[in-house]
Amino acid sequence: MGEVEIVSEELLRHFGPLSYEEIGFLLNKMATLLDKRGMNITIRKKVYAAMVESLENIYKHQDTIADDKEYMPKFSLLIDSQNISLFVSNSILNHKVSLLKGKLDKVNSLDKDGLKDLYKNTILSGNVSPKGGAGLGIINIAKVSENKVNYTFSAINDRYSYFTLNVLISHNIK
Amino acid sequence: MDSLIIEPTEFTPRINFDPENNLFEISGFSRPENVIGFYRPVLKWLDEFSDNVLSKNIDYNKNLLTVNLRMTYFNSASSKFILDILLEFMKYHSRGNEVLINWYYEEGDDEIQESGEEISDMLGYPFNFIPYQT
Repeated sequence: MGEVEIVSEELLRHFGPLSYEEIGFLLNKMATLLDKRGMNITIRKKVYAAMVESLENIYKHQDTIADDKEYMPKFSLLIDSQNISLFVSNSILNHKVSLLKGKLDKVNSLDKDGLKDLYKNTILSGNVSPKGGAGLGIINIAKVSENKVNYTFSAINDRYSYFTLNVLISHNIK
Repeated sequence: MDSLIIEPTEFTPRINFDPENNLFEISGFSRPENVIGFYRPVLKWLDEFSDNVLSKNIDYNKNLLTVNLRMTYFNSASSKFILDILLEFMKYHSRGNEVLINWYYEEGDDEIQESGEEISDMLGYPFNFIPYQT
């Protein structure tokens, strides 16, 4: 038996530093592309939310490596017959990895109702940090995705790792 | 007390708080670069409204405050502030004012509708859900 080949098409790609305006540009482009493909408003809003939270996460929390050209922020949006897939990468200080990994493992351990409860508890108890994060971004990504959030941390050196988040949003739900 | 009117931008919603007519509207898109900087003055205005207007109404018949939320998108940091704004209205409600919260959503936009249902659930207060067509 042959393997099933999943053909995916890259819709958008960005490599390099991200400004707030560039995030807006990528969002508008995505909305137009998905609209052209006849995606309904809920799918577009889900992709929109996942993109905002993950790209703003880079904008607010990335740990830039001085003089580096290899591990700059990276974003791509792909589509296949079942899913829309976001890949978002940025450099991060190694000492922050375990906290972020813990948050990701936590959301991956929860079902839809569990995520709603976590969102509710976080929003009611958490304070917004000076950077504007409310600790809600990752929970929101998991909520809109309705799939497990995939991630990798690749060690760059003894100070930094390269973090990649992969979010899947099913668009072919019957 | 003067109205609070903030015109929308590409990243921020329109705010129109009209104390004369007890009408409080937030509409559009919310992804401010500085979320605290955008929403703190709104919460401050509500504090002043409470002190300068509501607290001075000693009539038996209290105000009917209508809140219209017509959001097309808000990020998670904004959701925290939308909740904080509505919590202010819950305080007004607990002091005897009637509060009507209308949550508008584009027909078919399950994300905005569900966000409203979740916020309503968090507040333990019913919203009036109103779909609209574009």
